[in-house]
Amino acid sequence: MAFALDLLQGKVKVDDCTPLLEPKYKKDYDTLKDLLGAEEGKEKELRIDVDNDLCDGCGICVTICPVNARYCPPSLSGKAPDYPPEKHQLFQVKGGKCELLAIEYCRRIEAQGRERECRVCETYCPREAIKIDYV
Amino acid sequence: MANERVICSGCSLLCDDIIIKSDGLYIDEVIGACLKGKERFDQATAKNRILNPLIKKDGELKKVTFDEALEKTLTIIKNSSKPLLYGFSTVNCEAQLKGIELASLINGFIDSNSIICQGKVLNTAKETGLSLTTIAEGINKADLLILWGANAAESIPRLLNKVLFSRGKFRMTGREIKTLIIIDPVKTASFGVMGVRDIALQIETAKDIDLIRVLKEYCCKADGIPDAGVAGIDKDDLKRVLLHLTGTENGIIFIGQGLLKSQNGDNVIKELLELVQLINVKQEKGRISVIMLGGHYNMLGFDHVALSNYGKNHSLQFSNHQLVETPDTIITKIEKDDFDCSIIVGTDPISHFPTQLSKKLMSKPLILIDNKQTATSYVADVIIPSSITGIENGGMVYRIDHIPLNLKKIINPPNNVFSDEEIIKKIIESLE
Repeated sequence: MAFALDLLQGKVKVDDCTPLLEPKYKKDYDTLKDLLGAEEGKEKELRIDVDNDLCDGCGICVTICPVNARYCPPSLSGKAPDYPPEKHQLFQVKGGKCELLAIEYCRRIEAQGRERECRVCETYCPREAIKIDYV
Repeated sequence: MANERVICSGCSLLCDDIIIKSDGLYIDEVIGACLKGKERFDQATAKNRILNPLIKKDGELKKVTFDEALEKTLTIIKNSSKPLLYGFSTVNCEAQLKGIELASLINGFIDSNSIICQGKVLNTAKETGLSLTTIAEGINKADLLILWGANAAESIPRLLNKVLFSRGKFRMTGREIKTLIIIDPVKTASFGVMGVRDIALQIETAKDIDLIRVLKEYCCKADGIPDAGVAGIDKDDLKRVLLHLTGTENGIIFIGQGLLKSQNGDNVIKELLELVQLINVKQEKGRISVIMLGGHYNMLGFDHVALSNYGKNHSLQFSNHQLVETPDTIITKIEKDDFDCSIIVGTDPISHFPTQLSKKLMSKPLILIDNKQTATSYVADVIIPSSITGIENGGMVYRIDHIPLNLKKIINPPNNVFSDEEIIKKIIESLE
């Protein structure tokens, strides 16, 4: 999965995966090449979009985010984190809407291994207001 | 005041972790509150706020002084022999107590919104008993949460955040060990928070009672597995629900509005509470409790105030300043036209009630004590504006888990409007 994530971010190319070059995986190799097209190898940036029209400020993203849980103790019991926000804090609810604060500390950028696949904020948003993408 | 945590009075969850930035005159920023809570704090400066007393003259509402409005109110009350008092679920307990005192003084009938809402659960609990729990228990100990006929993600937005996603004091993980079961005929927004271990049951409409009866039948049998599905739920899902219900350590059933209506003439709530009792008797280690999901922030308060002071939690009829027994509720009273004026406090019955009841309510003099324009404010004969409880005046309120909390005053009310309690107190003093 780490390779797949790097592939999506443009950090590696399809050709960097040696098993895929074997003849028996030719079909998968071609499919991947087709899917990525001209985007292959282009470095992409993580973007977390919060749709303010959909968001109702329930704060699930604030509580569920593992980075918030580590740096903002009140969020462990479902409470709103302290204000002003801690510098690592990713999400806060302000004015009834979710706000993204410091994307550079998101696990998808900072962490290693499986932790980089984190997308709990997107998965558990009941209003489907959060979208994680690479652009 | 700067960066102080206050209680939000936006809904019945009464979140106590809202951070407010205020200079004492206005609320500048609200941090941590959901959209509902934010709207509540915005109400202080909202366009639809009523700031002046109004009296209907020649079919139009005209601005008057407080004394004139009070005089008109007294005239209506004095000319009435069967006054009706209704609402009281968005005011503090002190105002509710004063409201019952006023009903006693004028020999009126008083009822709150809870009679058409979660008060039905409390009424049924008189026969079956009720196993209650608190939100803190849900945060720290719950391992099974059942949303039955409730769309918590939209009606009480922060509830799932608190009870389902929080980690709590005694566990390293939160969401991972909590199982969520949603039973609803409609796929609501609450279904969006479901994980792989959770169970989503899209039950057939008005078939909840059949499901409860099957669960009652099988929950007491050792290794009982139903032969077939029921109410659109297949037998595998039924088995999983049964295993969760009988094996939970600390389960909470959230009763929503979807269960309040009787199905095929039977009381669904009664069957559900009996199921809870059955499981609790059978369970050796754990237990199941219920939390009623109401909307207004102090609906339970009226039940507590009335019950502790008068021994009856709703529909209080006074005669000769004494409480008398009556089978009537607010609905039957209006249906039978058994009133000659109404005093509405902090609610909007014209929007909530069916048209034929609204028309009957509109046909008699109507006094409204409220802080915002509603459908009722357009048809009222007298409107007395009040301050917003939880922002412009404090007081005691009851949360959905029956925990009393004290709301604080954050800013001063505009135009020096009185609180609901002060207004009712002034009416009582003038009548005496």
